[in-house]
Amino acid sequence: MSLLREAERCIINQTSHAALNAFITPLQRSGQWRECVREADLRSEQGKPKSKVDGRLVSVKDNICTREFPTTCASAILKDFSSPFNATVVEQLNDAGAVVAGKTNLDEFGMGSHSIYSSFGPVQNSRVSHDQEALSSGGSSGGSAVAVATDQCFAALGTDTGGSVRLPAAYTGTFGFKPSYGLVSRWGVVAYANSLDTVGILGKRVSDVQDVFGILNQHDRRDPTNLSPSSRSRILSNLQMPKFASRMTSRPLRVGFPVEYNIQELAPSVRRAWSSTLDRMRKQGHTILPVSLPTTKSALSAYYVLAPAEASSNLAKYDGVRYGTRSEGGDMHPGEALYATTRGEGFGQEVQRRILLGAFSLSADAMDNYFIQAQRVRRLVQKDFNDVFAANEPLSSLQPNEGQEPDDGVDILICPTAPSSPPKISKLLDPSATTPLDGYMNDVFTVPASLAGLPAISIPSTTDCHEGDDEGPAGIQVIGQYGDDDLVLQTADYLVRSNS
Amino acid sequence: MLRPWLRQCPRTVRALCPRCQRDPPRFLPIVSNQTPRRSLQTSTADSSDRVPLRKQLKQDAKSLKAHKRQRRESEEASRQKWELTVGIEIHAQLNTDAKLFSRASTSSTDSPNSNVALFDLAFPGSQPEFQIATLLPALRAAIALNCDIQPVSRFDRKHYFYQDQPAGYQITQYYEPFARNGHVDLFLHDGIAPEDGDQVPIGIKQVQLEQDTAKSQEYPPSTQLLDFNRVSHPLIEIITMPQIHTPATAAACVRKIQAILQSCSAVTTGMEFGGLRADVNVSIRQRGEVAGTHHYGGMTGLGQRTEIKNLSSFKAVEDAIIAEKNRQISVLESGGVVEGETRGWTIGSTETRKLRGKEGEVDYRYMPDPDIPPLYIGPDLVTELRKTLPTASDALIATLVGSEYHLPIEDAKPLVELDDGARLEYYQDVVDVLRDLQSDQDPKAQAGLGRAAGNWVLHELGGLWTKSDLAWDADRVPASSLAALIDQLQRKHVTGPTAKQVLAMVFDGDARSIPQLLEEENLLLRPLSREEYLALAEEAISQNPQMVEQIRSKNQLGKLGWFVGHMMRTGEKGRVEAHKADSVLRELILGPP
Repeated sequence: MSLLREAERCIINQTSHAALNAFITPLQRSGQWRECVREADLRSEQGKPKSKVDGRLVSVKDNICTREFPTTCASAILKDFSSPFNATVVEQLNDAGAVVAGKTNLDEFGMGSHSIYSSFGPVQNSRVSHDQEALSSGGSSGGSAVAVATDQCFAALGTDTGGSVRLPAAYTGTFGFKPSYGLVSRWGVVAYANSLDTVGILGKRVSDVQDVFGILNQHDRRDPTNLSPSSRSRILSNLQMPKFASRMTSRPLRVGFPVEYNIQELAPSVRRAWSSTLDRMRKQGHTILPVSLPTTKSALSAYYVLAPAEASSNLAKYDGVRYGTRSEGGDMHPGEALYATTRGEGFGQEVQRRILLGAFSLSADAMDNYFIQAQRVRRLVQKDFNDVFAANEPLSSLQPNEGQEPDDGVDILICPTAPSSPPKISKLLDPSATTPLDGYMNDVFTVPASLAGLPAISIPSTTDCHEGDDEGPAGIQVIGQYGDDDLVLQTADYLVRSNS
Repeated sequence: MLRPWLRQCPRTVRALCPRCQRDPPRFLPIVSNQTPRRSLQTSTADSSDRVPLRKQLKQDAKSLKAHKRQRRESEEASRQKWELTVGIEIHAQLNTDAKLFSRASTSSTDSPNSNVALFDLAFPGSQPEFQIATLLPALRAAIALNCDIQPVSRFDRKHYFYQDQPAGYQITQYYEPFARNGHVDLFLHDGIAPEDGDQVPIGIKQVQLEQDTAKSQEYPPSTQLLDFNRVSHPLIEIITMPQIHTPATAAACVRKIQAILQSCSAVTTGMEFGGLRADVNVSIRQRGEVAGTHHYGGMTGLGQRTEIKNLSSFKAVEDAIIAEKNRQISVLESGGVVEGETRGWTIGSTETRKLRGKEGEVDYRYMPDPDIPPLYIGPDLVTELRKTLPTASDALIATLVGSEYHLPIEDAKPLVELDDGARLEYYQDVVDVLRDLQSDQDPKAQAGLGRAAGNWVLHELGGLWTKSDLAWDADRVPASSLAALIDQLQRKHVTGPTAKQVLAMVFDGDARSIPQLLEEENLLLRPLSREEYLALAEEAISQNPQMVEQIRSKNQLGKLGWFVGHMMRTGEKGRVEAHKADSVLRELILGPP
């Protein structure tokens, strides 16, 4: 099939699945993109494609800046905002010949786990419950995940701050990859919580994710948190040591399953998917080991202190003065705080909740008890992971222990992505049935890797649906040591192939 | 080297060189923080012209003086009872081309909103890019303030909403500043209060890098114009220890810190142009009483402090502290309690005004900036900068008043401060040439050369510059010419008045060498013989017998001066030497000694 045919099919799907609300700004039927794809077809015929994604349609989450499309972050305060520049990841895709397939829906500024807190309306999963009710797509990159799941594009970019790529992937049956923090540029990615925000990739196949990652995994000097070329080569040379280079090639993997993740609330179908994945790997000769990540229980609390703290700071810039929507009648009402009207009208409920949470935990009297404590927990979470992985954290000041034998740790961790399969949207929107805290609970398995900046991918679970289960798909998460992104992707690919 | 705050304030400069001032006396504003220069300001009053309003003015001055004395006395009384404690925060714009976190230019003269990068406007998705070059002036300042440069420092966000703050926060160094533990020494000649003694060391708690805000212009009732060119201009904030106990010393401290910052080119403009702003923390406690319960900057036992924001002149610093101190005293003396609050000061006012109380206090919610990596400063950079830093003005002044130059402090200070140090350099050149020319003279004469040169450079030549209202130019009267002229004077080859006349000629463009000029203009002193002096004196005496009688009978020796002047006027121009004329007159009128 030609690239153009494939692209046109995506456009048709964007129209036919419009009700899922995956896009805030879909691709127009006609436009410059046709020319680009045609040229890519020509290059492909000549055997000279620009890249593996040349001529492919890649959706971009609407909190990533694009010049050609508005960038709304699903917020009323930016509903008419167009960025004057492209994010580095968008430039990289363009340079590789890919075409932006539109801007996908999300939880406002990335804050949410079900893509229901959007001023453009909730995203719907293409799967429905047994009683035909709409299910959550997961969030906050729900639009990107649904777009991929329903072939509205070839692949999609999302952002993952505490699981926002992995959770929707698990709920939609797609692959959602969050690379190590600092590998992919954040220039042009609208900040939610800078120290956690990571551009992630959603795709239908691991190889698609790998292809896109290959294009984005570059140094960018405009992002001060982006890894320098020298750090990158240090990580690479570390992984080229025989004991690491041999993994998956000449020796089986040592796979850890974190015992703390086997929580009571784990849905039976998810637990089955997890154990059958581990079983399969054991049968294929890999070593399966129980490991302990004792700080896991505190990780979620720490995340919901740190992320809102950064969010309250990052979102202070939205005042309607220089860009964005300003409330009618202005902001200088006597007796009212500056910008109160604009921000009160422009931000949705969940964003306001997190701004308040963050403002509180940073306030002088609460700082020590919340923000500082949470930063300590974050260190402990990182230490937990370092204690179980055979590979050292390559950026730490500690020298890699050359004498350490591989059997001192695991190569990879395998655990569920989310405790349950997607809930019904109606239930989520019903305040008597769900509190905001229930939403936060969904991130319990994804947040630790975010706090530690580790690479993690969610792959669709392969468990068979049992009779009587009122539950749909679940995701299995593969987590690697910092910088071990390739092993994470290879493991995901291996799991898919070994199952078919 | 030293950019003088003086130069930007021409009135003060004029006041500095009063001996050469020929303008009619001006009505100088009463500037109370100019103590060190007062000694130089005295001579303007002895002009003999008869202004009709003179009496009136005199009376006004007298009553003002009395009022000031009264105020001084009551100040002193309250000082005996209450101890004032002041800490200062100074914000200074750094002398750098780039903004702190973007590549946009810092030029302030361009049209509004032309120098703004995406990050300066806080565009979604934009990120900071620390400009390493901005570190250099900041480090120079911190080194000049004797600080310990921190090997690791970090940036934090300080949150508050205001239209001049696009991100909703200012990036600063709250938790880990790049410099700590400095000090600045204030001397009598820096203008400290007399009760503080000869010298006050003031600790510098820390120096931090931070961003400036946008300029906002209000057009009531409802328009605010914003110019983001200034946003993210690099600033340093200098926080002193609360170790200041008099208002005059607080003003002297700000003035001194500004002079230090300018001497090491850390800043471009001073307070007059808004390049420097000060906030002061003021608290009082009763002497001998139980220690207060508050502590600031590691100082314990202090009273409740208030903060006065945004003071933009040295006078405002001093006046605001006096007003705030007196307010706190009257609050406490009437049984009230001082509230921790932020107050403001309007120039020319007599009271500080409440801006916001404790309940309205902004919680800045300081948070480490997650996008900006720590700042690592290597010791090699600090060493290199330390080496290239110009000598501190304190050290220069010490040298000038020392045994090598013997300058009075009131000459040493302006020499160091004037014309970015160019005046000092010129002075050094004059002294070098002069010492060469005078190497044949006895040691005593040689020892006085530094002082003589100082007088000519600062007062005689300085007066010509002041009168011309031009900017300093070292080539107008080459240092070698001035040295040659002073040499002639020292050797008594010319009289003082002749030397001044020659200096004016050179200043006005006469390019001849000094010896040639003196020769051709016939200005060299040909001493008169005793007979010639006697003739001149006798002529004067015979014409004014009454005055001679008055001198003889009433011992009105002051009138001898009139006779000296008469002889100088009647004698050949430039040949009558005053001291010789005087001695001949005494001999003739009063008889041999």
